Amino acid sequence: MPSRHSIAASPVKGGAAPAGSPPAGRAPEEERRRAKLSRRWQRDLRWSPYAFVAPFFALFIAFGLFPLIYTGWASLHTVELTAPTDMEWAGLKNYVRIFDDEFFWNAARNTLIIGVISTVPQLAMAMGIAHLLNYKLRGSTFWRVAMLAPYATSVAAAALVFVLLFGRDYGMINWALGFVGLDAIDWQNDSWASKLAVSTIVIWRWTGYNALIYLAAMQAIPHDLYESAALDGASRWRQFFHVTLPSLRPTILFTVVVSTIGATQIFGEPLLFDASKGASGGGTHQFQTLGLYLYEQGWINQHLGRASAIAWSMFAILILIGLVNSVISRRLRASS
Amino acid sequence: MRAIRTARRRAVVLATVAALGAGLLAGCADDGKDEESTGSGDAKGKTTITVGLFGTFGFKEAGLYDEYMKLNPKINIKETVIERNENYYPALVNHLTTGSGLQDIQGVEVGNIAEITATQGDKLVDLSKFGKKSDFLGWKWEQGTTKDGKTVGLGTDVGPMAICYRKDLFEKAGLPTDREELAKLWEGDWAKFVEVGRDFKKGAPKDVTFMDSPGGLLNAILSSETEKFYNAEGEVIYKTNPAVKDAFDLTANAAEEGLIGKQVQFQPAWDTTIANGKFAAMSCPPWMLGYIKGKSKPEAAGKWDVAKAPKSGNWGGSFLSVPKAGKNTDEAAKLAAWLTAPEQQAKLFAVQGSFPSAPSTYEGDKVLNAKNDMTGDAPIGQIFADAAKSSPVQVIGPKDQIIQQGLTDNGVILVTQGKSAADAWSNAVKTIDNNLEK
Amino acid sequence: MTTTLTPPQQPAPEAVPDDKARKTRGPRSARAGGQFHAGPLTYVILTLFTLGSLFPLFWTAVAASRDNARLAETPPPLWFGANLSDKLAVAWEDANLGEAFLNTTFVAGTSAIVTCFLSAMAGFAFAKLRFKGRNALLLVVIGTMMVPPQLSVIPLYMMVAKLDWSDQLQAVLLPSLVNAFGVFFMRQYLTQALPDELIEAGRVDGASTWRIMWHIVFPVARPAMAVLAMLKFVETWNDFLWPFLVLTQHGSPTVQVAVAGLGRGYTPDQALIMAGALLGTLPLLLVFTIFGKQIVGGIMQGAVKG
Repeated sequence: MPSRHSIAASPVKGGAAPAGSPPAGRAPEEERRRAKLSRRWQRDLRWSPYAFVAPFFALFIAFGLFPLIYTGWASLHTVELTAPTDMEWAGLKNYVRIFDDEFFWNAARNTLIIGVISTVPQLAMAMGIAHLLNYKLRGSTFWRVAMLAPYATSVAAAALVFVLLFGRDYGMINWALGFVGLDAIDWQNDSWASKLAVSTIVIWRWTGYNALIYLAAMQAIPHDLYESAALDGASRWRQFFHVTLPSLRPTILFTVVVSTIGATQIFGEPLLFDASKGASGGGTHQFQTLGLYLYEQGWINQHLGRASAIAWSMFAILILIGLVNSVISRRLRASS
Repeated sequence: MRAIRTARRRAVVLATVAALGAGLLAGCADDGKDEESTGSGDAKGKTTITVGLFGTFGFKEAGLYDEYMKLNPKINIKETVIERNENYYPALVNHLTTGSGLQDIQGVEVGNIAEITATQGDKLVDLSKFGKKSDFLGWKWEQGTTKDGKTVGLGTDVGPMAICYRKDLFEKAGLPTDREELAKLWEGDWAKFVEVGRDFKKGAPKDVTFMDSPGGLLNAILSSETEKFYNAEGEVIYKTNPAVKDAFDLTANAAEEGLIGKQVQFQPAWDTTIANGKFAAMSCPPWMLGYIKGKSKPEAAGKWDVAKAPKSGNWGGSFLSVPKAGKNTDEAAKLAAWLTAPEQQAKLFAVQGSFPSAPSTYEGDKVLNAKNDMTGDAPIGQIFADAAKSSPVQVIGPKDQIIQQGLTDNGVILVTQGKSAADAWSNAVKTIDNNLEK
Repeated sequence: MTTTLTPPQQPAPEAVPDDKARKTRGPRSARAGGQFHAGPLTYVILTLFTLGSLFPLFWTAVAASRDNARLAETPPPLWFGANLSDKLAVAWEDANLGEAFLNTTFVAGTSAIVTCFLSAMAGFAFAKLRFKGRNALLLVVIGTMMVPPQLSVIPLYMMVAKLDWSDQLQAVLLPSLVNAFGVFFMRQYLTQALPDELIEAGRVDGASTWRIMWHIVFPVARPAMAVLAMLKFVETWNDFLWPFLVLTQHGSPTVQVAVAGLGRGYTPDQALIMAGALLGTLPLLLVFTIFGKQIVGGIMQGAVKG
């Protein structure tokens, strides 16, 4: 006798219809009813997945696809914001020129740097905090809520306060540096300092949120794993590296993917970090990210065609990163 | 079966929530429509005119809306203000090209007016029948007029520039303090002005610079030229125009020599240099006096004075336009014309310091006898009126703002951060060219 | 054996996943904290992080209580000045925040509820149902997440203008319902949180996919849906660029749009701007403080786990 499970699973494979000849002694009426039911059953199996994803795709087609097609088309033209329907065919010019657009590559470099120095410490710190929060703590809710508070703050509000804190002449951070005998840093104009400051805003907003996600995953690790590790005489640190981290791998992958996508699109923080310079990302574009460059070309300089090409190039770069990422993680999975 | 039943109950609740959400949504959509249909006239038959502005125009603060609503009881005025023109302007363009989301009256900054007249002229109401050409300074009227002769922007104010200076600091540095004498010292040439700055540096306290910010000086010099970034044919010439390069070099060298402060204008840190008297002179249009007053400590009152600039120029000023897509274009045009009529401009000057673009007011009491707390009894009205009348009729182009911003924010300011003048120039040019290229 | 063909109406108690399956997939161990008690060092480090976390928020309030002159002095103020209530009142009045709060709550609330249901449905389909083109469609979803949002704004606005929606809340609400992240998130969650056996049991019971959704998937997905709703609510609440383009301050603005006009003029009043920023954030902070336990609990339950 087959187990219940394989029987139960059979409808999924579309095998719920009464196979073979019906057993004798059944009324034809019953049989018709069954046939009808199984037709409905099959229709359900075949079509309902589409029905379930349909609302998302309907909205996507309505509000996501048109912009994509439009910008794709616009990227092949010379178009200005002052007349967005007035397009002049440009072929691939907008893409080709990206190759020697030093501002694009500068922005790409900045995006990468800011992305790395905001994502890596953020996730590392989140992991550390999660590890600490995973101890038996007094007032555990308080700590958790406090960590999550920055997440509730809008980019604009966060940028406003950090701009003041990072002020060159009267900012709190330089004042504190002066207190311990360090020179004041020109946070807005220095190349590395400005990137660090912009990253700080990102780190501040997202660390707590990621910490809670890690914490959730940590608490889901079966206790026996730790117990057996402890029996083997593993220290807390060894347990962290040999039990916690491996168990967290899918969660880490998820946060890395989401943070990477977020990092490529960093926009509000650098825009507001030196609002007096508009969207140029500082006097020498030292913290202009791709998102900001795209905004500058499209909105401030009003070159819709160029901006569209930049957007699609960003998109292509992300897809590339995604592919590389999936290849690497598949390799890792295969090797482990 | 209990699980199923609770699940079902939950489903009912969820369905109710969803229905409620949909209902709210529908209700909201209805609200929107209601508002639209009553937007032009509510129960009392009032017409609401909406005004979309950026920064500070001061109509409300000067009580002009109230006055107009009193004169026209059937009119109701609502104002929307966005703080920064960088946010306001791209949205305005987007709204104009799509003919949606527009206010009945929209403000336009002088740095954008050339682009508006060149590209959006057919989206705007011709205001030449509403405003009176003879009321305005000739060049101001021209700036708001399209190539085919439609006036789509009425001038609200202009920004004739003079030099504001601290008498006490000039005296400390051993310079003359009399405005006539100073004006003679640097008359006709900005290089002479910088020369005065060198003299100032010799005698001045160490932490006080002659001028406030590189952007301020560069802007002042460029504003006094007839042609700066575009020639009369509408070609971009900023790179080859010797006037621009000279202005840049003069400013950059002055900054290199330490005659100019390191601050970026309108930043909090710059404000403090005003408050603490860290510089002695700045190029200033009338509205800057209001700014200085706002940032200064009380004891600075009367320590400032105003002298004629080496060459007169204009800094700032705005226009009012009426989009054709508005609901009440006729009433809106009437209001725009009224707000920019000489009498109202004079009132605005008295309250807000926005200098009138209507020369007939220059002989009037409000301008002629204007005084400012910061400058004691200096006849600021006359000085600024003279500057307004002697300002060149400047050729303005659609991308003036982008070029100017590139020269300032990606250019001269870098000199104060240790870059050479040549590096700063090439950084600015690269930035600007990239920004201009379609 | 003919019981394989159990009519759908008849409950088949044996079809419930056996205990073993439930144990490996079922609820996590009931441990509240970790395995060790925290030492004093842990508290010290956590206190430092908490300070870093809360200080900028605290200082926003400090800045809002001062004036421009004081903000440009050394040392910077560390405690409240006299202006806080004044500035908050002015900001509230100037930006007409009462109405803005209602509008934003409506938009963010509706968007949160609708997206988490749609995402759960699509996420379930991607996680547990087999259909042609599933992988391709999933790629489209993930691809959608990667489209830089700044650019869609212009064509989207052309659309809104055609529909004559500018200055109406649906112009903000409807585009915000496209939430690829939500679909991805729910798919990841359901892939590991929803045992196949449960679905199979439902099938054996003869439940249609739709009934399975209602009776099995939604209950399982509830924690993740709560997290998603919260994420979406916060995101929509804080969104600026798009609402700014479609709404004006006197139409029906959202909070972020309403606050954008504050402190305007040649002398921007920093304190007033900070007061606006504070007011825009305060409702969310309050909610986080009051319902902190539930929100954190929700994230803990609904997060994508290992």
